[in-house]
Amino acid sequence: MIRVESLEKTYPSRKGHPAVKAVDGISFSVQEGELLGFLGPNGAGKTTTVKMLCGLIKPNSGQIFINGIDLVHRRIPALAEVSAVLEGNRNIYWRLTPRENLEFFAALRGQSPARLRADIDHYLERFNLGEKRDVEARKLSRGMQQKLAIAVALISQSKVVLLDEPTLGLDVQASYEIRQLLTEIVKEQGRTIILTTHDMNVVQDTCQRVIIVNEGKIVADDSVHNLLDLFRVRVYSITIQGQLTPSQRASLLAMEGVVMEEESPDRTSISVRLEDSQILYEVIGILESNHSIIESIDQDQNNFERVFLEIVKGGSQGA
Amino acid sequence: MLKKLLLLQAFLKKEFIVFRRYWVNSLGSMITLYVIFLLVIGGFQGVRAWAGVGGDTVEGLVVGYVLWLFMLATYQDVSHTLRSEAQEGTLEQLYMSTHGLGWVMGAKVVAGFFTNLVLVVVLLLAALATTGVTLNVDFLSLLPLVVGTLLGSVGIGFAIGGITLVLKRIDSYTQMVQFLLIALVAVPAGRVLWMRLLPCSYGSALITRVMVGGESLVQLGLWNVAAMFFVGLIHLLLGFGVYKICERKAMLAGMLGHY
Repeated sequence: MIRVESLEKTYPSRKGHPAVKAVDGISFSVQEGELLGFLGPNGAGKTTTVKMLCGLIKPNSGQIFINGIDLVHRRIPALAEVSAVLEGNRNIYWRLTPRENLEFFAALRGQSPARLRADIDHYLERFNLGEKRDVEARKLSRGMQQKLAIAVALISQSKVVLLDEPTLGLDVQASYEIRQLLTEIVKEQGRTIILTTHDMNVVQDTCQRVIIVNEGKIVADDSVHNLLDLFRVRVYSITIQGQLTPSQRASLLAMEGVVMEEESPDRTSISVRLEDSQILYEVIGILESNHSIIESIDQDQNNFERVFLEIVKGGSQGA
Repeated sequence: MLKKLLLLQAFLKKEFIVFRRYWVNSLGSMITLYVIFLLVIGGFQGVRAWAGVGGDTVEGLVVGYVLWLFMLATYQDVSHTLRSEAQEGTLEQLYMSTHGLGWVMGAKVVAGFFTNLVLVVVLLLAALATTGVTLNVDFLSLLPLVVGTLLGSVGIGFAIGGITLVLKRIDSYTQMVQFLLIALVAVPAGRVLWMRLLPCSYGSALITRVMVGGESLVQLGLWNVAAMFFVGLIHLLLGFGVYKICERKAMLAGMLGHY
């Protein structure tokens, strides 16, 4: 559905600032019906890439094909296949109601609002905007505005939907609702969705695959599942009653992967990162040597945030 | 073509909804413009030179003021739209339209023409009632002349809108365009030939001949009307050309939707 080849973008120097290479020869492809997370730290080049996919920024070199159409040279036909939410809740007209917004943007994208009436009603209900269909968008909550912006992107019936930070600034409930909706839409409609986000919970919950960019280059391109496996680390948190003796403390801190987390007269917690399971037995042995009473041993959950940080850190060190 | 009509319909509907929903604001704008007109009339003796538009008469002043208003509103429909949509975050959506931005802005201008027409007609009637003058309001003759005259305003709007996309925050300079438009309405393009090449000026002179002099489109001469349209089209194309150069620069610099 999307094919990107050797894409490069350098922003020219201006007002004393040197030229910036934002995207440095990246290539990737996205299949139909895939929900891809496009991630990276600030300034990594992800928004530039997404805007090039929308035809809003001209690349210096490289090619972008949307459903086989060359976006760089045949912008308008290619854009018929793409819709986007780039500015979150600012992508809609606040003085129009949800229904009026959907009708206006349908026409803007070459669709007949009259023919899409059933679809408009469907999206209003689906996004829980039915009761607010005739309320000006400026009077809606941020979560509702954000949902409306996504509905507006979907009403155009484009095959590719690009979402830049779709859950930014939303509360837990609204963020959860949007995650659910995205997952359902990909499953039901087979659309291709690319989303950028800083919220790793969104990635872990919704994306099948992620591309991580750093300093304009792709540093990881794999399924969320594989990346979690690849970077799986076992971290245990051990809590004992009372304090450690000086010799216990010295022995533990001499071990690689052991970190003191909390020390108080009543309780001490240590974090043990396991590269080798033998380390855990050695730690317990040291604790038992002074008859310390172990209150709990908990395994920290592996999450995508840690994976992301490891990859970005690794990419930076390698660069 | 049907899709273009749907686009025009969408803009017309949006204009109408906002005009009606924010009618207090719309009314306030009309009252403000009427008060400005009263001030101009009140200071007529002091601005007699400005009234030279139509032969040093109150009739000429009324025509000049209303025409200037129409040109200003049309200019703002383009330049102000590009700026405010960038500010509000919707400009990128307009760019992603499958119609292309040229058609989108064209639909916006045509939709704005009808809203502005209502505003101008109301103010014209108020101005006529206030001054007690009578004008020849021959709609069939005036409509093509007004459209031809406004082509220049649209061109200026595109050029200024494009420059704003690149330079950003230059409001204090773009506001000067309203004074430039006064000058373009006021220059004696009917008498000085080279002034007919200025944006909007020849159209303004022809409109004054119809409204004040009582001439019809036929009496103006087909050649004169065609020349006015041709000059208007050239200004429109020049303005759009400036806009496209600026748009390309903004797209290369990645600052299309920023403001």
